[in-house]
Amino acid sequence: MRQTNKSPRGSLALIAAAVVLTLYVWMFLHAESQAAVGVLIAAAAIAVAVSRKLGATRTMEAAVAERPGLARALSLLGALALIAAFHDSHFVLLMLCAVLLFSTACLGLTVQFGYSGVANFAGAAFFGIGSYAAAVMAAHTQIPHPLVILFSGLIAAIIGSVLITPVLRTRGHYAALVTIAFGILFKTFIEVNDVLGGPQGLQVPGMKIFGVALNDGIAIPGVEMSFYVAYALLSLAVFALVYALVSALERSWIGLSMDVVRTDETAASTFGLHIARWKVIAFTTGNFFAGIAGSLYGMVSGFVAPNNFTFADSLLMLSIVILGGLGNIAGLIPAALIVLVLPEKLQFIQEYRFLLFAALVIIILLFRPQGLLPRKTRIFFRGETSK
Amino acid sequence: MSPMNLIEVENLTMRFGGLTALDALNMSVRQGEILGLLGPNGSGKTTFFNVLTGLYRASSGSIRLDGADVIGKTPQEIYRSGVARTFQRSRLSLSLTVFDNIVIGDYQHMQHGLLFNLLRRKAFRAEYEQYVEKVRDLLKIFSPPLVSRLFEPVETFTMIDRRRIEVCRALMSQPRLLLLDEPSAGMTHDETDELMQDILQVRDRMNKLSVVLIEHEMNVIERVTERCVVLNYGRKIAEGSYAEITADANVQTAYLGEAV
Amino acid sequence: MSEIGQYIFNGLMLGMIYAMVAVGFTLFFGVLDVIKFSHGDTLMVGAFAGLTASIAMTAAGITSPLLQLLGVVLFAVGLTGALGAVIAKFLILPLHKAPPLNTLLATLMLGTVIREAVRLFYPDGSNPKPFPALLPTSSLELGSLSLRVDNLILLAGGLAAIAGVHFLITRTKLGMAIRAVAQDGETARLMGINFEAVVLFTFALGSGLAALAGVMNGLYYNEVNFNVGLLLGVIGFAAAILGGLGNMYGAIIGGFLFATLQVLGSALLPALIPDIPSAYKDVFAFAAVIIFMAWKPTGLIAEKSSERV
Repeated sequence: MRQTNKSPRGSLALIAAAVVLTLYVWMFLHAESQAAVGVLIAAAAIAVAVSRKLGATRTMEAAVAERPGLARALSLLGALALIAAFHDSHFVLLMLCAVLLFSTACLGLTVQFGYSGVANFAGAAFFGIGSYAAAVMAAHTQIPHPLVILFSGLIAAIIGSVLITPVLRTRGHYAALVTIAFGILFKTFIEVNDVLGGPQGLQVPGMKIFGVALNDGIAIPGVEMSFYVAYALLSLAVFALVYALVSALERSWIGLSMDVVRTDETAASTFGLHIARWKVIAFTTGNFFAGIAGSLYGMVSGFVAPNNFTFADSLLMLSIVILGGLGNIAGLIPAALIVLVLPEKLQFIQEYRFLLFAALVIIILLFRPQGLLPRKTRIFFRGETSK
Repeated sequence: MSPMNLIEVENLTMRFGGLTALDALNMSVRQGEILGLLGPNGSGKTTFFNVLTGLYRASSGSIRLDGADVIGKTPQEIYRSGVARTFQRSRLSLSLTVFDNIVIGDYQHMQHGLLFNLLRRKAFRAEYEQYVEKVRDLLKIFSPPLVSRLFEPVETFTMIDRRRIEVCRALMSQPRLLLLDEPSAGMTHDETDELMQDILQVRDRMNKLSVVLIEHEMNVIERVTERCVVLNYGRKIAEGSYAEITADANVQTAYLGEAV
Repeated sequence: MSEIGQYIFNGLMLGMIYAMVAVGFTLFFGVLDVIKFSHGDTLMVGAFAGLTASIAMTAAGITSPLLQLLGVVLFAVGLTGALGAVIAKFLILPLHKAPPLNTLLATLMLGTVIREAVRLFYPDGSNPKPFPALLPTSSLELGSLSLRVDNLILLAGGLAAIAGVHFLITRTKLGMAIRAVAQDGETARLMGINFEAVVLFTFALGSGLAALAGVMNGLYYNEVNFNVGLLLGVIGFAAAILGGLGNMYGAIIGGFLFATLQVLGSALLPALIPDIPSAYKDVFAFAAVIIFMAWKPTGLIAEKSSERV
């Protein structure tokens, strides 16, 4: 059952691809002028079209499927290389943190929407709950900060359970309505009273692990490092951990059950699946991930304000999930780069980003609903591609 | 209640608004038998399956499985009592793989804990590989070409193969009662023969598997079933061996209309 | 006395607007089994279209309030109705075969596109804009009650619109076609009904109704805001669910029920918690939606749905 004849060509192809992609992202993050960005985008479009013609994409997908361990290790190395390359740039590192942490929240949305079919239009609200929880706990309690992050996730999950009853209804529009209402309610509620800082928001203390304050930065003699390096490393660690968990979840009986519940509830119930249980688990787990991502993000950015967690922001998070390919967690980082970083690079679309990405999602839903990287069939363990 | 009866149906009535789909139905399914459930379209056969598996709640009457009334139980509970089914209009998760669709049939015996699935991957892999073997064994009987295509999405397969996959899914949980709803729809005679032989083969390995078969293909009924029940307008109009019911005047009228 | 009267009137107006939006939601669901989440923003477009018409007419020298009112209403309803039909043709119908969540998402995103488009491209779109007062400002004395004529006209207009739609749906051949398609699209097609035409018309009708509500909203509050669609959309949808999706009477009842809740809330909350900011009435409304959905997720009257097992 296990393939042992893995040609070194596959490994080389993966390494080459990793190097190219890392370089590309480096250039993208480095680009100063909008013209440069425009050239990069055009280059990417051409490269994708050409590689599709040459069948290179399929070879790449096969290579990744055969060597998931190597693919992951290379991705991690690439990310570390990028962090090292931008070690002195506050701005780029902050953006990387945003991409990693929003992708973490989107991992949660994928479990809810992609696997279980549970619509959640309050993703940004649960992210924000995490940030606020961090703000309060870090400023007013002695709870060690790693625990603060964990507790923030739990708080988000618990608050989300209030919405459980309508979310469990079969038809998606009930969950949609209730989560939309909740998202707006959350933002309005925070804005309206001063308990949690009102419209100005709250300051979030910087992260302290074992007494070491990340805001102080890491001092390496001779090298000037932004204090965001530590945060970027931490964000990467969190993302990698949640990614591994969600990947394991998809390739397990849990992921299978969720998929069956999503695709056919009637048949699922006649084979014993507890519909409600799986939806609740998906909804709660997803909100938990959003909460921990939000709490770390609060510490990274140093403050939290209701204006960052609007309904439009929830829709932006959903655009990332759809653009990347619904149900395919490998598509989240590329999609997050497009949705979060591109508007920063192309300043002129910054104003229009909600409009543009909403329109983009509509176009995707009409013409390529499976997204940039369509979800593949479930392969529980490598070497199962029966040939 | 006779100890030979796995299922006892008493005055079962199912009303949908003004439509009475099952009308005080009385029948039984004996332990270990293959029962043919016949009747013209709309006579209530699939409705009976839906009530029996808990998808509809009967308006009145009872269905006793081993003495316990099934009415009011959830589909999940009824599945755990050992009842598995196929659907008239094939219900598979088309975007999922053959393996995914079949293995879910044994949901009640799988381990679903978060810890087991996420953190104890070695143990999970062991259970997974056991299931791959079981699914392969079933497929070797029903559709050997599928064994090498275990991880392809179901939507790429023909309707016939999909029906076979559905039967495999129902057999995965080693049920006591197998409900087949027109499994041979769209199949040729040969394919139908093959399917029935495969089902019988598997049944031999499973102690006392009882089967209720809704079919329109009379040759199949004749060859495979030991006993038949004929429904019309939600009522039983005849019962007996194939020869007996085909000779029954009521049955002939139901299918062919009144003699002019 | 007049304070209660004011509350009652607020409630009636609000209920009218919610009802008109809810009827739209219920119509779309009934005909195509689809939730057009951008419906609230359609209302906003209607309001802005009306405003534009008024500005244009003033610029053209037509200042008579009656003519302006006519122009505003016609332009708003016409433009928005057409917009509704276009959306149906190019977005809703193509996604008809896709999983329902896709249409849900697409229409949500569409609402965002509409909202942002107005905010970005309408001159000074992000700020509330004054809506012209086109109705007579006199009052009617009924005993000790003093009723404003403009409010009465709005109320009457809303009632007439809803009654008109009701008449159309229940008493005309076109309405019968709509109901046929709502019941069973396939069979309706087989009966010779032009499915696409009926769908497009229904969407135009619902959108036109929303536009009228938008103009009424503008006339009542004397302003329009690009953001108003989201709140109204959520409440209108919740009201439609409350009354049972697909049930027109239910949608109307739902609209008024929500308005009652909101007015009660804004009346009682300050009594319970002094100095409560008025923004809380929005919080209250949304909380009401959530509590209601948690209690009765399928509405007081169940949504009509059937699935072949």
